[in-house]
Amino acid sequence: MEKDQRKIENKNNQRSPIRASSERNSRVGRRRFLQSAGVVGAVALAGCADDDEDVVRLGATYIFSGFASLYGDEAERGFEMAEEEINENGGINGQELEIIQRDTEGDADSAIRQMNSLVEEDGVHGLFGLDSSGVAQAIAPQAEDIGMPYMVTHAATPFLTSPVGEHDNSVGNDYVFRNCNSLAQDMFGAARVAEELDADEWATIGPDYAFGYETWDYFRDFCEGLGVDAEFTEEQYPALETSDFSPYISAILGAEPDGVITPLWGADLTTFVSQADDAGWFDAIDYTLFSVGMGTDLPAGGPLPGGQHASTRYSPFTPETDENETFREAYYDEYDTLPTYNAEGAYRAVYMYKEAIESTGSTDADDLVDAFNGMEHSGPVGDYRLEERTNQAVVPAIWGVVSYDDGWESNVLDPVEVYEAGPEELESALEGSDLPTGV
Amino acid sequence: MSGDEDGTRTGLAAFGSAAVTDGWTRERISLLVAIGLVAMAFAPSFQVYLFTEFLIIALFALGFNLLYGYTGLLSFGHGLFFAGGSYGVAIVLRDLGPVIADVVGSGIAPVVTFALAMVIAVMIVVVVAIPVGWLSVRLEEIYFALITLAFGMLGFSFILQNPGGITNGTDGILVLLGSVEIGGMDVRLGDRQLYYFLTLGIVASATYTIWRIVNSPFGAVCKAIRESPDRAAALGIDVTHHRWMTFILSALFVGIAGALMAGLASVASPYHAHWTNSATAVVATVIGGATFFAGPIVGAFIYLYVRWGISRFPALEAHWELFFGALLIAVVLYFKIGAVGGLLLLRERLFGAETSTDGGGETE
Amino acid sequence: MNFTTLVPLIGIGDIVVGLSLGSRLFLIAVGLSLIFGVLGVLNFAHGALYMLGAYFALAVTTSVVDNFWLAVVIGALAVGVVGALIEVATIRPLYERAEGELDQLIVTFGFVLIIHELVRFIWGSQPYSMDTPALFDFSVTVGASTFSAYRILVIGLAALVMLSLWLFITRTYFGSLVRGTSSDREMASMLGVDVPRLYTGVFFLGSVLAGLGGALSAPLQSTSPALGDQVIIDAFIIVVIGGLGSMTGAFVGAMIIGLLQSIGPQFIAAGHIAIPFLAMVLVLLFRPEGLFGGIGE
Repeated sequence: MEKDQRKIENKNNQRSPIRASSERNSRVGRRRFLQSAGVVGAVALAGCADDDEDVVRLGATYIFSGFASLYGDEAERGFEMAEEEINENGGINGQELEIIQRDTEGDADSAIRQMNSLVEEDGVHGLFGLDSSGVAQAIAPQAEDIGMPYMVTHAATPFLTSPVGEHDNSVGNDYVFRNCNSLAQDMFGAARVAEELDADEWATIGPDYAFGYETWDYFRDFCEGLGVDAEFTEEQYPALETSDFSPYISAILGAEPDGVITPLWGADLTTFVSQADDAGWFDAIDYTLFSVGMGTDLPAGGPLPGGQHASTRYSPFTPETDENETFREAYYDEYDTLPTYNAEGAYRAVYMYKEAIESTGSTDADDLVDAFNGMEHSGPVGDYRLEERTNQAVVPAIWGVVSYDDGWESNVLDPVEVYEAGPEELESALEGSDLPTGV
Repeated sequence: MSGDEDGTRTGLAAFGSAAVTDGWTRERISLLVAIGLVAMAFAPSFQVYLFTEFLIIALFALGFNLLYGYTGLLSFGHGLFFAGGSYGVAIVLRDLGPVIADVVGSGIAPVVTFALAMVIAVMIVVVVAIPVGWLSVRLEEIYFALITLAFGMLGFSFILQNPGGITNGTDGILVLLGSVEIGGMDVRLGDRQLYYFLTLGIVASATYTIWRIVNSPFGAVCKAIRESPDRAAALGIDVTHHRWMTFILSALFVGIAGALMAGLASVASPYHAHWTNSATAVVATVIGGATFFAGPIVGAFIYLYVRWGISRFPALEAHWELFFGALLIAVVLYFKIGAVGGLLLLRERLFGAETSTDGGGETE
Repeated sequence: MNFTTLVPLIGIGDIVVGLSLGSRLFLIAVGLSLIFGVLGVLNFAHGALYMLGAYFALAVTTSVVDNFWLAVVIGALAVGVVGALIEVATIRPLYERAEGELDQLIVTFGFVLIIHELVRFIWGSQPYSMDTPALFDFSVTVGASTFSAYRILVIGLAALVMLSLWLFITRTYFGSLVRGTSSDREMASMLGVDVPRLYTGVFFLGSVLAGLGGALSAPLQSTSPALGDQVIIDAFIIVVIGGLGSMTGAFVGAMIIGLLQSIGPQFIAAGHIAIPFLAMVLVLLFRPEGLFGGIGE
């Protein structure tokens, strides 16, 4: 109970940086107010792209409302921290950094409108964010169309970084980058974990949309490619926002698999775990692999049961570098919780823009795209490069065992295993499959 | 203080009457509007985009209101027809695009394909609307709202189910309009200005058509039905049949809006069929005023531009749902007859002129 | 797959799960139906009130008193107060308006957005889970299926609520006022019934039931701002199937949908989300007044 209380109090603490940020922006806000008042008054006369030479502007596009708003809220903590740090340390090339956040509402029409507004009205120099793979796939051709770099920090579908033409669903192009690991890299890690486990029969329970299906497709093909001795028995895809997973749970339990991989996330994951526990899931099934459990649930003291396997796209403890430790400590000081991969991805995207702008000395979109292509970068997540062919970050898959850490008052991955997941590894493991690696 | 106000009001009233007597005829106002609409194409690029989206939402709401405002049937499922339009275009472009390119040659293929896609999309919508409408118009009031909600969500489930790979499930279908070569110049069909003019042309013609419909004998029957279905029936009007026809017409115009949206946003998304999208038309119409022909247009304008205005302020954008929700409530509570009604009331107060029915398109 | 292999698949566990899900849905649907039956208002915010019930219960157990039962009661009553305030401030002015039903629908839709955002502002958007009350925190195994004893409790409580409501509406003075007003508002008003106060009372009661449903759901399901979004659509389907304004209908409809959601996925892997809507269409076409009609029936 004490723990819960702290959770609620922490939440209040966490609000303060948000308030600070809106105060910080109030000068800009007022100016914008006058501009937009004018625009509303005379629509045809609108036009307020700021051309201030002394400000670098970036657009942050995440889900801030509805079912998945927890992702936007996590990302916001990350990019606000980066913005604050950078501006306290002299900005970017001496210019002040301003990040403008917009709600994609998790829907393509809104996301595209927000993107156009950021580029054309706010004159942003670059874009980052995107949580939903479906939205990211709709945005990709548009980003190329308007010639603006887009650093995707969360949406995980491999088709986003698979160049157009490679596969029917591929939408990768020169302007879209991804700085976190993709579903393909994550599933490569999952297959490597499965290789080590004493489990022959595998099943899945995933959300009823592309992400759930792709997870299973990649998991199976990687297992086959790696020669894992596995049989795939049962698949269940409950709709998003399902209030009772019990029927799906009994269907899986009925098939008696040894291992299950599940990409359920957010509120659905919390609901699933508590209902699975009631149904005796963790006694009946030897291994449950949670592929996105770390995204939002672990740092909040979430529901993942100890001893199960989970992956993350970023671990606050791996690699053990000064950079990672500094980030982790600063983040914990500010928000009283460990950083999630979503927060780290957003934080790092801002620093990638900083490095690209400083190395080219320009905020021109095409210069930034050139700088990002094949960029070698280092952040809390470690040293990595953006692969030239795909614009995908070559970052490892991180899988570990969930265990509760009293010191951090949070679940962590311990022991943790890091699997290199570069183009060579993925290509050889996917040989014979028609799925693209996206790396 | 009140003297000042009176002074201002008298001044404005004098200006208003002067403007009217000086021959601010409808022709002149129409001309000004036309010039404004053309000039809009040369506004900053994003404003062109936003205005194009406004036109599409306006047509969506107008189509919806043909049924609601003129026969009193409130549909909560018109997203189905919006999605029918957007998916129709997306599927034709995806599956028939290459075939058509083979037939007509690649030069003008994108134009032919898009035109054909629009036609096929609207035909699909009508084919869906005929049985759905036939079944739905048997019900009235809240029951009609609920059955259309159910039909809309059935369509949504169908799209998610992705039968035979045709709708591409939750990801939706990308729409690439392509470009044509005209006199050696590469003209992109999706170019902001070009697409704006295309939308403007189609929406203006559709609006004119709807205006003609509501002012035709057919429209008069519609209004009679709305006022009193029983009395209309007593006069020998086949109420159900009439509502069915209006339903189909209404769906057709909504389908056109959906088809245009697919081209603008470059994607046909399952969300188009979801009840929350159907609610967009309802909300826009209520904000603007369902009893006025122009109500849905004004409502769509307010709906979209308020959302855009909120997005311009970081502090508001972070919690936009709060402000948007409060605005909805305020409009419903304080503008009893919608924004258009409010404006007419204002005109009456300012100019002292009768709020006449010279609009012609008004349903009263 | 033939029939004989199908039947054994439905275990006791599936039925318990279906009924417990139906019980939660009943609590939200019956309030929605009651409000519609008496006030003629289709309350879109009913799902948001349900969600609020879960948050209030959580907040009480974490920061006021760590007693589940007290939290449920306080949570439900607090939601009732919120509902009553909404009714008095924004819905009451609309009763006299021509075509006011749509205006009411949009006002309540506005509250969905507002409540969402306020909850997100106060508690954040991460999901919370709540411990099952200690007394019922054990599993029951019947045959091949295992389920939480708490589910049985929820089913029992819903049945108790159903019974009390029925007695309340059919056997008490207030109940007779409610029935009278729902069938003829003007007549009731002329006979001296304080209709506005009665309406507020009914809205309060409906909101308490929604809050109760949400609070009881907290140990079974994670609590997040979107908790009510899916539930409200289910509730609409239920009241249509059962009959708008009918309590028995809400009960039977909720159990049908609950069982459909628990057993359906095993037989129709694809398309099970479409079935409730299909049922809704069929009921509206062939029996628009629902399987059960009228309040108190």
